[in-house]
Amino acid sequence: MAKKATKVMIWLAALAVYAGGALAAAAADFPSKPITLIVPWAAGGSTDTCMRVLADNANKYLGQPVVVENKPGGGGTVGPATMVATAKPDGYTLSQIPMGVFRLPHTLKTTWDPLKDFTWVIQLTGYTYGIVVKSDAPWKTLKELLDYAKANPGKVTYATPGVGVMQHVTMEKLAKKEGISWIHVPQKGGIEVISATMGGHVMVGAETSGWAPQVASGDLRLLAIWTEERSKNWPDVPTLKELGYDIVASSPFGIAGPKDMDPKVVAILHDAFKKAMDEPSFQKVLNDFYMVPAYKNSKDYADSANEMFLEEKQNAEILGLKKQ
Amino acid sequence: MDLFNYLGIGFSVALQPENLLYCFIGVFVGTLIGVLPGIGPVGAMSLLLPSTFKATPEAAIIMLAGIYYGAMYGGSTTSILVNIPGEAASVVTCLDGYQMARQGRAGPALGIAAFGSFIAGTIAVLGLMLVAPPLASFALKFGPPEYFTLMVLGLTILIYLAHGSMPKALIMAGFGLVLGLVGLDTMSALPRFTFNQMELLDGVGLVPIVMGVFGVSEVLLNIEQIVRRDILKTNIKGLMPTAQDWKACNGPIARGSILGFFLGVLPGGGAVISSFVSYALEKRLSKHPERFGKGAIEGVAGPEAANNAATGGAFIPLMTLGIPPNVIMAMLLGAFMIHGVTPGPLMMKQHPDLFWGVIVSMYVGNLMLLILNLPLISIWVQILKVPYKVLFPLIILFCLVGVYSVNNTVFDIYIMLIFGIIGYLMKKFDYEGAPMILAFVLGPMMENNLRKSLIMSQGDFSVFFTRPLAAASLIIALLLLLSPLIPWFSKKRAEIPKEED
Repeated sequence: MAKKATKVMIWLAALAVYAGGALAAAAADFPSKPITLIVPWAAGGSTDTCMRVLADNANKYLGQPVVVENKPGGGGTVGPATMVATAKPDGYTLSQIPMGVFRLPHTLKTTWDPLKDFTWVIQLTGYTYGIVVKSDAPWKTLKELLDYAKANPGKVTYATPGVGVMQHVTMEKLAKKEGISWIHVPQKGGIEVISATMGGHVMVGAETSGWAPQVASGDLRLLAIWTEERSKNWPDVPTLKELGYDIVASSPFGIAGPKDMDPKVVAILHDAFKKAMDEPSFQKVLNDFYMVPAYKNSKDYADSANEMFLEEKQNAEILGLKKQ
Repeated sequence: MDLFNYLGIGFSVALQPENLLYCFIGVFVGTLIGVLPGIGPVGAMSLLLPSTFKATPEAAIIMLAGIYYGAMYGGSTTSILVNIPGEAASVVTCLDGYQMARQGRAGPALGIAAFGSFIAGTIAVLGLMLVAPPLASFALKFGPPEYFTLMVLGLTILIYLAHGSMPKALIMAGFGLVLGLVGLDTMSALPRFTFNQMELLDGVGLVPIVMGVFGVSEVLLNIEQIVRRDILKTNIKGLMPTAQDWKACNGPIARGSILGFFLGVLPGGGAVISSFVSYALEKRLSKHPERFGKGAIEGVAGPEAANNAATGGAFIPLMTLGIPPNVIMAMLLGAFMIHGVTPGPLMMKQHPDLFWGVIVSMYVGNLMLLILNLPLISIWVQILKVPYKVLFPLIILFCLVGVYSVNNTVFDIYIMLIFGIIGYLMKKFDYEGAPMILAFVLGPMMENNLRKSLIMSQGDFSVFFTRPLAAASLIIALLLLLSPLIPWFSKKRAEIPKEED
């Protein structure tokens, strides 16, 4: 009887050694086949273009191609949700993680839990948001605009690309702080924000850097940007922080895999993507699309993911969108 | 004469051998993907975008633009031959194009589509050169109230697409409107009819529905009707449009071109809307509206001209304001920016060679398309001779691949198959697909703009009457609705169902 038990023990031990060895081996020769990087947006947009340059650069350091697969839908959440539901945590399937992954669980019934279902690899970059008005509008500074809005409740209209997005949240945070009531006119996407503002159909537009060409041509006036520091593209434009509001918004995004990935594999991926980030081609494409680098290593990204999830909960409450 | 200077710059850029080659690759690839059902220009452009990173900005944009208008050109081919629109903008072409093919006139239908597209493309390029800047700022004046009333007009015009029972057409339009509601409500971010499916948050895709209702259903229907095949096989008459065809098509092509160009400038689905507005217009103006839906060549020429002119018009807001009016133009915007050029008000001044080079290349490209397509007509017509047991599985295969390739999700394939069955039942019971598709496209835009208008006017409905552009659309829509009360009009309308028996 005891002998039998010993035998089983030996077998189990052997199995454990074998499994451990296999795991180590898996990490040692990772990657041995192409890696799929899900980009949950349609091809050709700014985020997609950035990710394609990054994937191209990472190829060099991983010795395997990183294949971008566009899986748009659900405001950028179908891609990560599909990965969580179907992919093995072997490092061969990764996804770009947009803000919606943290936001939607607070407003809808979703299939994923941002706190449990992901292995965070690297945070990459964020967007430059800003507030624009038409160039013939009377407001030269953000303060003038906010003073006018305070004096005329319910009169100022502003456009954002949709309900619940960072642009909407930030404009309402500003309003709350200043005791303003202004009217949100949600558009379908950022391009409509620009044309509605330029056409004078709304008074103010809040959007990522899509307004850059019109600001350059003088058709729109940029009142403030929401980054941590001033942008070298618009050195005269103040940040919200400088203007005395404790608001920095850039909706940073990064790359994650399914939960329970081998830390060794995560490290290999992180190092390759970090090097890929530092290449001039990636820095150039960020600059072309007015994005700001927001690098975080795997551990810091995981912490920041938790914070973003909590922050989005508060945002959903501010906007009255929290699910029942 | 600045314009001639600019044209000179344009030709010197567009005629460089390298740019000519890129232009050719663009229109060739465009034609191919236009012919394949489901695989649209967006997919092809995104696949080829990285390959242009190393090219000059001129070459890259010329090629990508070529794919776009090449696809519009090719999209009509499958509509005419097998009743499957290669492109949403070609849905209307199915109505009469396929009937022509069944009568053995596939050649003239393809021919008039090619010539009509060429003429329209040329008119659009001329328009682009002459009126781009003033037109762009005019388009900005279109706010939510104007769009809403334009959609009202569009839905009114839908009625003219029906060539059978009016109640059935209205039921289909209603079905299309409801389908358009699926997804996150843009005003409150609440899901509607999504059944907790993440895939449905952005609504049901247009491509799976079109492929299902037109493609899969057509195959299902034909499986049980092998006999009909003989009509196609026996008499494929002359390949080119006759003098009589030309006479019938002059007006439709001219009107379609102008209509398409102006509607193309407006954001959102310009090519789709212009193609069916043109169809309705020609049916209304025709002395024999009863022929429409039964192989009237005007019903092919007008919409084909309109959707091609619209592609030219769509460049105006992008190149002069930096505002892309549709997804494809948004992709081109990305391509410009990768090459360090920001399209917008300054582009004409800062990069005249690029601006005019691209415009002139579109003219050159249209000519290439014509030369490329005319000899192909005889080859396309041969497709009709491919045995159904070979052709049908191929069509299904292309539909499957095409639908999957749009979003890379299997979910869209399920949608397509479900709509294939719905489309089959629709055809069995004589319900038409076109009003449904168009209501599906217009409905969400209409709702969105109505609600935006009312937010901005604080609930005051008078915005729709007090703004001149909005009021004008409403008045035209009202006149169209009242037209049956006027004897002369009602006589024409009455002839249509009568012929149906």
